[in-house]
Amino acid sequence: MRRSAGRVSTRLARVASLVLLAALGTITLMRFAPGYFTDVREVDGKYGNGARAALNIQQEEQGSAITLTTHLLGNWLRGDLGRSRQYDIPVTELIGSRAKVTLRLLLSGMAFGWLLALALALALSARKTAAGEAMIAGPSAILLAIPIAAMATTCLLLNVGGPVLVLTTLIGIRDFKSIYRLLRLTWKSPYLLYARSQGIRSSRITFIYLLPALTAELRALAVTSFVIALSAIVPVEVIFDLPGLGQLAWSAAMNRDLPVLLAVTLLMAACIGLAGMVSTSARTIEVTPCA
Amino acid sequence: MRLTSLTLLVMLVAAAAVTLLRSPIGYAAQDRNHIAEGSTSKHWVGTDDLGRDRGVRVSVALLIGLAGAVSASALAAALSATIGVTAAFAPRAVASLLMYASDLFLTLPWLFLLMMVRSALPLTMAPMESAGVTFLLLALLGWPAYTGISYARALALRNAEWLIHARAGGLRPSQIARYHVLPHLSPLLLSQFLICIPACLVAEANLGTLGLGISEPLPSWGSMLLSLENTSVLAGSAWVFLPIVLLVAILLLLELLVFEA
Amino acid sequence: MSLSRKTACLAIALLPSFASPFASAQSTKQPSELSWSLKYDPKTLDPAKVDDQASEMVRYLTGGVLLRVNRRTQEIECALASSWSISPDGRIATFHLRKGLRFSDGTPLGSADVAATLKRVLNPATSAPVAQEFLTPKEVVVETPDPLTVTVHLPKRIVSLGKIFDEIAIEPANRNTESRVTSGSFVVDSYKRGESLVLQRNPYYWRHDQAGVQLPYLSSLHLDILSNREQDQLRFLRGQYQVIDSLSAENYNVLAKASASSAHDLGPSLNTEQMWFNQAADAPLPAWEKEWFQSRIFRLAVSQAIHRADLARIAYDGHATPANGFISPANTVWYSRLGHIQEDSNEALKLLGRAGFHKDGEHLVDRNGHLVKFSILTNAGNRPREKMASLIQQDLAVLGMQVNVVMLDFPALIERLMHTQSYEAALLGLSNVDPDPSSMMNVWLSSSPNHQWNPSQKKPATDWEAEIDQLMQLQASTQNEKGRKRAIDRVQQIVFDQQPFIYLVYPNMLYAVSSSLSGVELSVLQPGVVSNIDMIRWNEAKR
Repeated sequence: MRRSAGRVSTRLARVASLVLLAALGTITLMRFAPGYFTDVREVDGKYGNGARAALNIQQEEQGSAITLTTHLLGNWLRGDLGRSRQYDIPVTELIGSRAKVTLRLLLSGMAFGWLLALALALALSARKTAAGEAMIAGPSAILLAIPIAAMATTCLLLNVGGPVLVLTTLIGIRDFKSIYRLLRLTWKSPYLLYARSQGIRSSRITFIYLLPALTAELRALAVTSFVIALSAIVPVEVIFDLPGLGQLAWSAAMNRDLPVLLAVTLLMAACIGLAGMVSTSARTIEVTPCA
Repeated sequence: MRLTSLTLLVMLVAAAAVTLLRSPIGYAAQDRNHIAEGSTSKHWVGTDDLGRDRGVRVSVALLIGLAGAVSASALAAALSATIGVTAAFAPRAVASLLMYASDLFLTLPWLFLLMMVRSALPLTMAPMESAGVTFLLLALLGWPAYTGISYARALALRNAEWLIHARAGGLRPSQIARYHVLPHLSPLLLSQFLICIPACLVAEANLGTLGLGISEPLPSWGSMLLSLENTSVLAGSAWVFLPIVLLVAILLLLELLVFEA
Repeated sequence: MSLSRKTACLAIALLPSFASPFASAQSTKQPSELSWSLKYDPKTLDPAKVDDQASEMVRYLTGGVLLRVNRRTQEIECALASSWSISPDGRIATFHLRKGLRFSDGTPLGSADVAATLKRVLNPATSAPVAQEFLTPKEVVVETPDPLTVTVHLPKRIVSLGKIFDEIAIEPANRNTESRVTSGSFVVDSYKRGESLVLQRNPYYWRHDQAGVQLPYLSSLHLDILSNREQDQLRFLRGQYQVIDSLSAENYNVLAKASASSAHDLGPSLNTEQMWFNQAADAPLPAWEKEWFQSRIFRLAVSQAIHRADLARIAYDGHATPANGFISPANTVWYSRLGHIQEDSNEALKLLGRAGFHKDGEHLVDRNGHLVKFSILTNAGNRPREKMASLIQQDLAVLGMQVNVVMLDFPALIERLMHTQSYEAALLGLSNVDPDPSSMMNVWLSSSPNHQWNPSQKKPATDWEAEIDQLMQLQASTQNEKGRKRAIDRVQQIVFDQQPFIYLVYPNMLYAVSSSLSGVELSVLQPGVVSNIDMIRWNEAKR
């Protein structure tokens, strides 16, 4: 009991340190990237003076990178996420409603994508046939080749499907290929060959022996597909005009809106850290079965 | 099957090289009186929106893109395999640190590092050098995506009975990794390698917005693919789909080549 | 059927249902609402703080002003003021308000409200951008001799005073309602950041049509915040939007094919696209490059080598006009017909020869043997500009110049252009919302940070820049219209001769207007497609 409580607290500390380092990294990278203290309106003859005046004030207020970092992190610890540089409204107000949109999209996309990937991989991996291989190779090559943005625009133009379909296809095809390979490898394991030769049904083998043996890899793959989905969220939200975090994060990056990007990055770091925490706990159980 | 795929692949690449070398029209030459046209006697697969011969441009894009994307994907896969396997066979503390670094790498907004790299490079850097730097950066930033699964798989292999026998038999970890683990990991890595190729092409085109990527007048395969998100391009000649058709063909051939029949 | 196959079939069968939850974020809108999109969120709904185009659009639609510039005729018309006058010395402006004016909440509008608004705008604490146009806002005095009269005492004569009042929206005294109580045609009803802005008709709007019907005709306006032009076009074609404000050239032809009567090309806009070389003395460039860029002959040769007709035809699909100066032909009052730039690469090479350049094989070298090689910076994401950069790259290759096209994101670009001056050449556009050249002072004064090719000079680096400074100051201070025109004509000529900006094209003003609307008057001045918002109505036959 004490040991598991200790393990949990170690892992939570890992997540917390990951979030902290992600914060420091984000602040450093954005602060020193070119264009931090600039405003698009500077080149405009009419609005240029106002934009420059506002930037000078900001520069004085923020001070050096170290001052900026301590100021931002200090505010975070007090629960104040700061104000958006682009919109001059509290970051919490901006992120709140958008997080729901993105979360729904991500969860639906990942859930359906995995369902699709698993179903197809399970259906096709048990017995390798030429027809099966052809079914896999052709469509998967096509779906991999089409960029997400082009896929999204096509759906929009044809008025077919939507953002969830695009995300499902993206995750489904990539995970399908990895899961299919994993299953093909594992089907060849001696103990499974023995089980099949004994006449045990494929479905029983799949759910009682095959999938449980691959739990760690599948969890690791889930983390990877989460990261892939996050990068696909931006073009999907932009093209389908969804008011989500992906659009916001991209616009924050392009407009050097540090408070907003920091909040989004830390959210991502927390998710990846927690996902990693779940993966490692699974590994621990497998590696020390006698514990 | 493998030989056929290899032959077809070589023929495709050779066709691109021949088109480039034998064509009297350069990839940058603009035929300004024939903009976005379909197939003509002078331009067999039409022209792009600046009047440049599509056949020559697609050939150059294919050669550069294939070389760049294949190298970047291979490097990223190799890095993720190395780190994953090392972590699986290393002491727990080292493994923990490597996976921690991988997670951290995934969360940081590397976009800004890329901007800094662009800022440090000279503005008059040749387009080919810019392309090289871009693909190298993509490889160096792309390794964490599949490290987790390489690590998980390598760890499962480490605990397999036959591997325990190998360790008991006195094989060194490097020998085990090279002769036993990697061959078992290779289907997964090859799968990752294939998935990364189109992702690298599109990522290179996206990096064009930061001043990296393949710069004009060199043709970029990724940009040709991304241009399909514009309705004005889709409304043009059917030859605009040539880059994507070639990419599908190449991915298919590579898939058939790398996986055993 | 095996379990795995059943699962596969189920998954495939479920695929279509993924479409419904999000399909496309159709915002709820009433059928009689006029809808269109803004490319980005307005930065503010407070009319005094308007500092960007989206906010200006909202202010135009909601703000009641004393005087309105008719966007079509460019003449000043009375709005809330029934009449106005300026004293002979130009230092006292008197406005007489209409009788019976009310705000949108029914409260009366009188001179006290006008005075309070003006004082708030002039107050340095408000940081109202329009205050700068009064030159010395602190010294302006506003008086209200009676409830319907306002006098404004100016310390100095201001050229084009009337236009300034087009940008001051009269608000209730001492109540900052952020456009939720207005004296204009519409009122802000709801605003969802990143999504939409809904405006409702002002029931107490002062204006009536000739038949005595109260304006505006439309009951409400729905503005979506949408940066994606493909979506914008698609929604227009599906009838969800009735107008597109500033259509892009590449989408124009697609739209015209789908609906020929909806697409409108008004001809050249007031905007310009230009290229320039970095002439800053302290720029981090090699000395020989600075010598090239500061050489008039070099700039002229580059200008001669560029085929502007190709830029207009290819980069803009024909929806642009070749440019040779900073005042577009659309600016009918100030346009001056300058000479023709002789676009001839051979002539350009001869010209370069006179300055010591010569071709070494295929490459151009200067008199000291340095290869003529430089980069052109432009912003990524603007497809016509990217195409122009490629076309120019090829045009200059004929001269033997090796040009690198580098596309950067805007902040990185601005840092190089405005802060560090670490660039060689740049290609950007200038958006001119005001036809009056006084609005361009910031660009032409050599001491200004917006004097792009050599900003913030302590004293003019060249004689011709000194002359431009004098002429611009002169035209800003004289009331004599003919004198102003002569000064601006001379500035145009100097710029044409010296080519600090190599003007490329004037992009055309492109709009889309649904045939279900009538009363739309298009103009090159912002807000272009809805400048006649009061008179726009549904075409009853087609609705």
